[in-house]
Amino acid sequence: MRLQHCLGLALAVAASVPLAARADDTIKIGFPIPLSGPTAVYGEPILKGAQMAVQEINAAGGVLGKKLELLPRDSKANADEAVRLARELIIKDSVDFLAGTLTSAEAPAVSTVAKENKIVFVAPTAKLTQLTLPPQLHPYVFRVSSNTAVEGQAGASLMAKFTDVKTVATIAPDYAYGRDSAADFITALKKLRPDITIVDQEWPKLGEADFTPFINAQMGKKPDAVYCSLFAGDFVTFTKEATPLGYFKAINNRLLDPAEVGTIDEAQALGDQYPYGIIADAYDPVVWGGANEPAEHKTFVKDLQTFMKSQYGSGWAIVGYEAIEALSQGIKKAGSTKSDDVAKAMVGMTFDTPVGKRTFNADHETLSPEYWGTMVKEAAYPFAIIKDPQLLPAPTTN
Amino acid sequence: MAPSFLFSQFMGGLTTAMFLFLIASGLSLVFGIMRVINFAHGSFYMLGAYLAWQGVQWFHPTGPGFWAASLFAACGVGVLGAVVERLFFRSLYGREELYQLLFTYALVLILGDAAKFLWGTDQLSVSTPPVLAGSVQIFGSTQPLYNLFIMAIGPLIAFLGWLVLNRSGVGRMVRAAQMDREMLDALGANVGTIYTGMFVFSSFLAGLSGALVTPIQSIVPGMDVLIIVQAFIVVVIGGMGSFWGTFWGSVIYGEVLSFGILIFPGFSLFSVFALMAVILIVRPWGLFGRPL
Repeated sequence: MRLQHCLGLALAVAASVPLAARADDTIKIGFPIPLSGPTAVYGEPILKGAQMAVQEINAAGGVLGKKLELLPRDSKANADEAVRLARELIIKDSVDFLAGTLTSAEAPAVSTVAKENKIVFVAPTAKLTQLTLPPQLHPYVFRVSSNTAVEGQAGASLMAKFTDVKTVATIAPDYAYGRDSAADFITALKKLRPDITIVDQEWPKLGEADFTPFINAQMGKKPDAVYCSLFAGDFVTFTKEATPLGYFKAINNRLLDPAEVGTIDEAQALGDQYPYGIIADAYDPVVWGGANEPAEHKTFVKDLQTFMKSQYGSGWAIVGYEAIEALSQGIKKAGSTKSDDVAKAMVGMTFDTPVGKRTFNADHETLSPEYWGTMVKEAAYPFAIIKDPQLLPAPTTN
Repeated sequence: MAPSFLFSQFMGGLTTAMFLFLIASGLSLVFGIMRVINFAHGSFYMLGAYLAWQGVQWFHPTGPGFWAASLFAACGVGVLGAVVERLFFRSLYGREELYQLLFTYALVLILGDAAKFLWGTDQLSVSTPPVLAGSVQIFGSTQPLYNLFIMAIGPLIAFLGWLVLNRSGVGRMVRAAQMDREMLDALGANVGTIYTGMFVFSSFLAGLSGALVTPIQSIVPGMDVLIIVQAFIVVVIGGMGSFWGTFWGSVIYGEVLSFGILIFPGFSLFSVFALMAVILIVRPWGLFGRPL
């Protein structure tokens, strides 16, 4: 017993002693991301993408002659935990930058820590528009992902093309992202097609186990088409319950989903039960069902599959990869690892990604478009793929 | 509102109800008889789902293997229940509830990580068995055959459970153990075996419900924690430890949820929690429970 006490004490002391002066030849990036719980499905491949970017950059000699070091931590998709980890990464591990977080709950929370500590923070996935709107906007927060306004415009532009659609319904998870997603889509749609009426809005909770009542209630309102912001396991469950109820048939497969259910991750989970014919999106279609695949993307996917030791890879890795790319290109442009310099350099900076160039605008947003298209079955793959993926909203030249 | 619409809404509520009942029945049984609040019941349910997926891969990936896989999953979780009860729960009976809560919560974390370790974090999916893949038209509404199957299984389990508990020798012993464990022990009955048996049966039900849910839900890490809250609501509404209470609690939960979203579309969970609050105020022991 006494020995254990001594050991415990020794460990505690060892942990509290500050690490020997920080090696000056590494740039440390703290990366809180969910690695457990339902959202680890996304967290794991995003981390893989970030790790691959770090490996590639280091193999090419690092940034400003220094190696990048990624410090991943499990945020459990919990805002409090993400904040705790971010603080710990800054104080104990003396990280130079923060990247990561998954949900629209974690990102704004970590953003406040970045603001307090004046450390650049790059969010790869959170879509809540408020993240970069005043008063939350500060010099150190950047977003490489899309936001709900951007995806709403893309979704509305596709919905508007269905000229015979007069009634539309929405179904979205009942939390910040889902609420904003539906609202921003409706705002955008009203501008394009004032003749369309919204006949029903369903709000199942995030992680709902049984969508049957919501599906029935929505079918009762007989919408011509649906804007559905469900994703991940929720979308899988929803589909499995909706198909036998005749839901997709009732709306002629006119369902648009802006929440990346077009990724191969989602398609593989559903296999042959995927509701072919719906319109979905992805940051990275991975498997390109068309001719417009960028050459950089081909190399990226091949490297990714080797790195992940997986036959197909993942449609989520790219956002982690882009976050690290943005940061490293920012450091290079600033010629400094000081957050103040890097933050200044990143505003207005154009950086390369495997799917083309992205630019941080004055609001620290890339307004990243996504690849949209109809989900089809192709003999070469045992899962649904996006047919002729097109970037939406169409990128404006700048 | 069209009658066919109301009917399909009612049937939707019933589907929700019967799935919940499958899960909550085991929880209610263990609580009612052994006075153990088993937070890990949701984890057993999750393991049932994962084992069913595993079984389907082994037996017959395209469909007919589903039934064998479900049985395999239910039995597998039952065996796990036996091990957990014999090794750990045994020393917790009669202790303060706090210890049981802490222990079962620890189990939740351990089993959650174990599942992640074994099956990874990808979402998994099982196809509906071909026999039940279709749907039928009833009163102008489309009813999936699989949902109808679940609606039949629920009452069947409730009836069998009631039959065993109230009309058999084993059931008499179990009820005696519930009323006065020490007296039964003194009379020479093997209470330990009864408890193990009950726990195994409860785990079996959890595993079975986890397996049966796979054709209509995705299998993801975290499904354990999401379901346990709903199962608890149902058990609380019905009355802790009452088998029929849990059954009707599930039906009420399902229908209130189903029709609640028609009245308050923006607050899907509001009606259910409001109902639970009202019941807890008016009848703290639940609809079918006995005052504590």
